[in-house]
Amino acid sequence: MSASRYAFILAGGLGTRLCLLSERRAKPAVPFAGKYRIIDFTLSNCVNSGIFDVGVLTQYHPTSLHEHVGIGRPWDLDRTRGGVQLLQPSLDSVASEWYQGTADAIFRNLVHLRRRRADHVLVLSGDHVYKMNYDPLYAFHQANYASVTVAVTEVPERAASSFGIIEIDRRGRVVGFEEKPRRARSRLASMGVYLFDRSALIQWLVEDAERPESRHDFGKDLLPRLVARGEAVYGFRFNGYWQDVGTLDSYYESNLAFVSDPPPLDLNDAEWVIHTQSADRPPVRFEPGGRAERSLIANGCRIAGRVVRSVLFPGVTVSRGAVVSESIVMHDTQIGRGATVDRAILDKEVAIGEGACVGWGEEAAPNGACPEHLSSGLLVVGKGARLPERVRVGRNARIGPYVAERDFAGDLPAGGVLRGPEPEH
Amino acid sequence: MRHAIALVLSGGSGDRLSVLSSERAVSAIPFGGKYRVIDFVLSNCCHSEIERVGVLTQHAPTSLHDHIGSGRPWDLDRRGGGVRILQPYLTREHAGWYRGTADAVAQNWDLIEASRASQVLILSGDHVYKMDYRALFHTHEERGAAATLAVTTVAPSEVHRFGMASLDRSGRVHQLDEKPKATSARFASMGIYLFESEVLAEALRGHPVDLVLDVLRPAIESGQPVYGHGFEGYWEDVGTLPSYYRASLELLAPEPRLQLHDARWPILTRDEERPPVLTLPGADVESSLVANGCRVAGKVRRSILFPGVTVEPGAAVVDSVVMQDVRVGRGARVDRAIVDKFVQVGDAARVGEGEPPAGPEASGVAGLTLVGKYALIPDRARVGRGAVLGVGTGPEDFVGNEVRAGTRIPDHPAHADLG
Repeated sequence: MSASRYAFILAGGLGTRLCLLSERRAKPAVPFAGKYRIIDFTLSNCVNSGIFDVGVLTQYHPTSLHEHVGIGRPWDLDRTRGGVQLLQPSLDSVASEWYQGTADAIFRNLVHLRRRRADHVLVLSGDHVYKMNYDPLYAFHQANYASVTVAVTEVPERAASSFGIIEIDRRGRVVGFEEKPRRARSRLASMGVYLFDRSALIQWLVEDAERPESRHDFGKDLLPRLVARGEAVYGFRFNGYWQDVGTLDSYYESNLAFVSDPPPLDLNDAEWVIHTQSADRPPVRFEPGGRAERSLIANGCRIAGRVVRSVLFPGVTVSRGAVVSESIVMHDTQIGRGATVDRAILDKEVAIGEGACVGWGEEAAPNGACPEHLSSGLLVVGKGARLPERVRVGRNARIGPYVAERDFAGDLPAGGVLRGPEPEH
Repeated sequence: MRHAIALVLSGGSGDRLSVLSSERAVSAIPFGGKYRVIDFVLSNCCHSEIERVGVLTQHAPTSLHDHIGSGRPWDLDRRGGGVRILQPYLTREHAGWYRGTADAVAQNWDLIEASRASQVLILSGDHVYKMDYRALFHTHEERGAAATLAVTTVAPSEVHRFGMASLDRSGRVHQLDEKPKATSARFASMGIYLFESEVLAEALRGHPVDLVLDVLRPAIESGQPVYGHGFEGYWEDVGTLPSYYRASLELLAPEPRLQLHDARWPILTRDEERPPVLTLPGADVESSLVANGCRVAGKVRRSILFPGVTVEPGAAVVDSVVMQDVRVGRGARVDRAIVDKFVQVGDAARVGEGEPPAGPEASGVAGLTLVGKYALIPDRARVGRGAVLGVGTGPEDFVGNEVRAGTRIPDHPAHADLG
């Protein structure tokens, strides 16, 4: 049975609202919860559900995703038959453009179905954090003779307008589908998890491709149309934790949720391991004077200062006298002696000089360059940036990747912006 | 190093490590918060570009097999070469068990021959060190040696544990004394021997048992060119309880002699996929190594916690080594103890309590308490200092909810099958 299952994972998302974090990496490749990347959850769900044949569709900044997924070893997806394939758009006979929408992305990769005998095609998104066994979804789909089944989950009313909202009748049949409605008629949101009958999928995608007015997107065009014309579209309710890490604020909050006890997802579940590409790092080293409370700290970290309510990815050093609070600090970032970091997201390989104060003062003017993402007091520092000794950086500030010490003319006020050098190609 | 094959001797029955080695070979004992002892040698091979490795084992090999598997963590899962686990086997001519180190090599000679390796590097799986073997090969080739042994200096009080070598100024070995009471020789043999394959093949024709006594010593005495290669880095034989415990706690020194945080020479291991360490309110951890998958809500001082250890609120772990998936209950205290995998320390229990016993201790190390795999220590129970709780010790072994200082509870055979 397993061999007949195939899944596409859509991993081309721009993740614009994640600001600096996804400027040079696709959203599924954004680090999460102290050692994972967002896509790890979906990939692990696949293999834990017995799906060992997966195509990952990439497009936007695929380098870190390609490096991370590689040949799929951590997920046991390095296989002779099946396994994982990274599918980048190509110049071919079907079309020679970038993927237009999610439906177009699958349409342009239908060739990969040709060689497979899968009766059902699972289409997933690489943008979400959740643990889900897809077996019950397959069972539900078959029991209802559905042509497509959409997994749905309840979201808070105020958030409903940022999802595809679905109405289902008592038998589970979808009777309404509206993408990001202004006023939602239900609180059931599409999780971006679709199980299609193979033949229906092929027929619908071919049909959609011929419609000039379509944006070739499952949520915007295809599914609402199928519902409207009475196709067998069903909704499968999922009651577990599911998080769309859409904005910088929700990224921050959902990371910090993992320092609570119990965390929203049990990551220590031997029955449902979340696999990732882990480098060989030694255990966390707590030095004399080190202290860490309510925090998630990954192997390879060295803690000689204080860490409070924070998430530290592998290889972070917190030097003596430094204090890191309510922050997310990614791989191999160094916090110098006596420095303080408060309510900040520091990307990989950042160096904070001795005595620096990152997240300083009470003033909270929104960010000058992207006020829509940075206004809650959170500040971000891009990959590889180096902050000089004793510099003070205000709230809502944004420091670009690879900014150097000499780029600072002095303290950076609240809402301040420092752009990094242009990426070299 | 396409011309060399390494053989890792890890057949040592580790009675010396008490309950830690009652079900596993010394080289499979967990060390350093996430590794097994053999990881150091396998990582050295990997970084020294030795692509063919045989691991010779006969004592309780199951956990070693599980750990090494196909050799992936060390990039030793290869079509040509890679890692092979070599167990004794039966033939029509002989009964198979390895009688000694030379015999173990002789019994696997067909593998060496098939590899067409021109040099054979013999290693021990019980040693913890980081060494680039390419330097040893260099010395060996430069001197045109028949055999070269790696040597290091040890304290005079330690010479009785080692083979001691006397070297002349060119580095040539003139004498090799096995575990002498006293000696003028300054260099201890590290149990690392590089042989020309032809030399070793010739020596094995005489059915020797021991590599040092029956192969190396006769070679030196008959005037063959045997050289010493000096090594100055950290090196420790952790095959005894005192050295295991000491080497473990030494990792916690402010500037440890063995640096695990070393991106140029990482120690590779079979990594269990565990989430990062979770520190909860009340967590207070200093001078310790804590591996992924741990949950800490209590106090930890000068200790090593392996993956998946839980330290509940109000609990304290001090000067101890605590292995995978141990739970230390609320308000419990573990002091100067080695606690093996899957042990449950009940709420408010005390492990390593009171004064050390007078006279010899069951653990063999002053005041050190040992707790074997799967032991269940009841709530509020007391385990005196220097006691040894065998594998699978249960509540029925406690008298008045206590195991007295310095006493020993034997292994429960029912657990022996659980691996």
